[in-house]
Amino acid sequence: MALSTRQFPELEGHLEEGETLPIGIVLQKRYQITEVLGIGGQSVVYQARDMKFPNVTKLCAVKEMINAAPDLRLRELAVRNFEREADVMAELNHAALPKIFDKFSEGNRSYLVMDFIPGKDLEAILEEAPGFLSENQVIQWGIEICDVLAYLHSRQPGPIVFRDVKPSNVMSGPQERVMLIDFGIARVFQPDQKGTMIGTEGYSPPEQYRGIAEPRGDIYALGATLHHLLTKRDPRLEPPFSFEERPVRSINPDVSEGLEAIVMRALQYDMDKRFSSAEEMKLALTALVELRAGDSSGVAVGTIALPRSSDGVLATWEFVCEDEIFSSPVVSNGVLYIGAYDHNLWALDAKSGEFIWKYATEGGINAQPCVYDDKVIVGSEDRVLYAVHTSRGRIVWSCPTNGRIRSSARVEFDIVFFGSDDGYLYTVRAQSGRVVWRFQAMKEIRSSPAIDGEVVYVGSDDGHLYALNIQDGKRRWQFRIARGVMSSPLVFEGLVYVGGMDNSLYAIDARYGSAAWRYRTGGRVISSPAISPELGVVYVGSVDGSVYAVDADSGRLVWKFPTEDQVISSPSVFKGVVYIGSRDGHLYALDAKSGDLRWKFKTEGRVLSSAPPAIYEGMVYIGATDHRVYALPI
Amino acid sequence: MEFIRRLLGKEAEPPVTEEIVPEELLDTGPTLVVGQASHIGRVRKRNEDAYFTLQATLSRNGETFPFGLFLVADGMGGHKGGELASALTARVVAEAVLREFYLPWLTSGVEDVIPQRPINEVILEAANEANLAVQRVAPEAGTTLTFALIQGTNAYIAHVGDSRAYLIRQGRLEQITQDHSLLARLIELGQILPEEAASHPQRNVLYKAIGQGGTLEVDFYLKSLPTNSYLLLCSDGLWGLINEEHMAAIVRESPTPQEACRKLVHEANLQGGEDNITVILVQIKG
Repeated sequence: MALSTRQFPELEGHLEEGETLPIGIVLQKRYQITEVLGIGGQSVVYQARDMKFPNVTKLCAVKEMINAAPDLRLRELAVRNFEREADVMAELNHAALPKIFDKFSEGNRSYLVMDFIPGKDLEAILEEAPGFLSENQVIQWGIEICDVLAYLHSRQPGPIVFRDVKPSNVMSGPQERVMLIDFGIARVFQPDQKGTMIGTEGYSPPEQYRGIAEPRGDIYALGATLHHLLTKRDPRLEPPFSFEERPVRSINPDVSEGLEAIVMRALQYDMDKRFSSAEEMKLALTALVELRAGDSSGVAVGTIALPRSSDGVLATWEFVCEDEIFSSPVVSNGVLYIGAYDHNLWALDAKSGEFIWKYATEGGINAQPCVYDDKVIVGSEDRVLYAVHTSRGRIVWSCPTNGRIRSSARVEFDIVFFGSDDGYLYTVRAQSGRVVWRFQAMKEIRSSPAIDGEVVYVGSDDGHLYALNIQDGKRRWQFRIARGVMSSPLVFEGLVYVGGMDNSLYAIDARYGSAAWRYRTGGRVISSPAISPELGVVYVGSVDGSVYAVDADSGRLVWKFPTEDQVISSPSVFKGVVYIGSRDGHLYALDAKSGDLRWKFKTEGRVLSSAPPAIYEGMVYIGATDHRVYALPI
Repeated sequence: MEFIRRLLGKEAEPPVTEEIVPEELLDTGPTLVVGQASHIGRVRKRNEDAYFTLQATLSRNGETFPFGLFLVADGMGGHKGGELASALTARVVAEAVLREFYLPWLTSGVEDVIPQRPINEVILEAANEANLAVQRVAPEAGTTLTFALIQGTNAYIAHVGDSRAYLIRQGRLEQITQDHSLLARLIELGQILPEEAASHPQRNVLYKAIGQGGTLEVDFYLKSLPTNSYLLLCSDGLWGLINEEHMAAIVRESPTPQEACRKLVHEANLQGGEDNITVILVQIKG
């Protein structure tokens, strides 16, 4: 059948700016456009059929330059750049670069014709993968891309910088070999943007914005590409140049330390700190493959962090009581006071652990004692609050309630504040033990009160944090926390920090009673928060097993440290270290700034005290369910 | 008897001593004095900035509880997209904050039944509501968003983009928010000097904005506002043209926040007025 020219519509007249070629159009009487493959910032790529071979379907890729230059002179400049780059490409010969075999202009546009590469680009492969990609696959791609970059960078008379390495520019072609596409064609002169634009190219190196385009920029972009492929986190959606905030292994822990080190080195801001050449990076990746094939422990190439060793810490002394200890000691004037489930309040010498005296109550002691004047004050499960002489352990006064006392007492303005399981918050004269007033909540008060200015704050199992006037116990406000409050509040700079049985740590405006922020953990927060005023960070433990460090102003997580079991006890912060015990039996010492483990100490039982460890003159003291009080040096 | 005597004018009125009400018996608590201004500038064809200010005070038992909501949004995007994005954002955020925070606060007594939501969650959600609304209604457009909820002397600030919030105290400006611009990041990395920033070709590129869709991470700041300090919110049409010392001087020398806003806008126009100029100034008076 005779071929009619009407079957090959030709491009007539001008195409409007921004319009893509219609399907079916024939360029140069030879290339019939069959599909739009992709539209980029600088170009459009079409699939076309080479009509010189009418009996078969020979496909090719036709790349059309987008020329957005505002005036004629710049437009001509752009076309000349395009032609020159096309000439360069025509001379290139590498398995990973598509061959150019034609170039022309038609209408008001410029075109290149090259091999059509069937297959998917790495961005599409990443999107379609159900989980993370295999490390071996990514390393292989990395090696092949390094190979072609090394080739380009070694061209004469000058290195060719690809400038656009990213997953969508890398095809996994026939035989699963990579091909670089969208070769830096015609960097068209971009008119100065008047309005504000949204979005950046997440793979570009920082020096590019100073107008520097050199081979080590391609290495950065390759690092960014590998980072994206390993973590599935698109750098275009993140703040620019923030890869260090997202180390590969923190998102994909299965990646080897060696590969992470290679990727992070390629991503150094400072060009001089990256690999000095694609060849060097390729060698590093190849060495990694051999290592992984031979030895499964994965020794890293380059500097890696050494695994942290937890130094064995020896206790200075330990003292055995007659039963489990659920609370923390308090130290004053060289004497340590602690209550135990054996009904006794013990007084020991803080330096040596020697026994001084003990006072027997009728019930287990769960609360932390409080020292005021010459008295030690503590409540017992026998429902009575006791004030005992510090020197001899003789009773001064006692105050009965109608419920077990587990809340630790606090003293301010000569008044003792404490809660009881009978649902009351009591205020009692420190000298005489006489009740001044009491406030009734609807359920047990097990948390310890906090006093700030004219207000006392306390939580109850009835699901509220109360703010009461010190003078008369009148309610100023109450804040609802589902399932109750066992944590003791902490007041700092106008905010009340407290944990809730609804798994959250709250920061509540002390005057208004509205929550400034809430941080959700994975379990109940029975632990009471502690603060580092220098760092502006609040620390607390959760039943989910972790110790949390949260920014005091914004509620953002600073760091999180996992232990092996519930963290019910409360932290103490002292000289840049956070001390906290866990139900897993250890006392942990964590760096307050980074959350790194400084050391840990194992008891024979569990550390369940809800009060924080006591710190006094170079020692930290805790009690554990193994009946022991430990004194550890710090 | 007293009454009849007075009626008949028989006795001269005894002299009445002027009693001055001592200051301490007046309501205690801080008050907010607000100034606000927005101007198209001298170059642009439309004003794509939007702002919102609301002030309310509840006083009971001699205690005052001030509340404020202050917002600036700088829109961008072709055709009318920018105007639409910023206006929509201002309305959506104001409505959300009032609905989720202030109205429940007003209706809750001491016997509150409705658990009150943490402020950071309320304002971050409001920003995300605006993000989705703009994406739906004006998909090609976007806007910056910087807004502050003031309760008593605490300011809770949510922020996306390159409009700014400053705290002015003791005559000095302290920038509270961080610009989400490519430029700010390059300066942070030491790739560009701040002086080069003004003429850099990518100075208008943001990497985050309301309207970009998806889940947006919005910055949250809590700032305590000391007495006689100021909170200043503005679009880049102001801070891009006037340096911080100059802004602080204008605020210091103006008798009222409103007068200061007028002067700031005037000064920005004198410096070229290349962009829309919007400023809100809140004074915290003891």
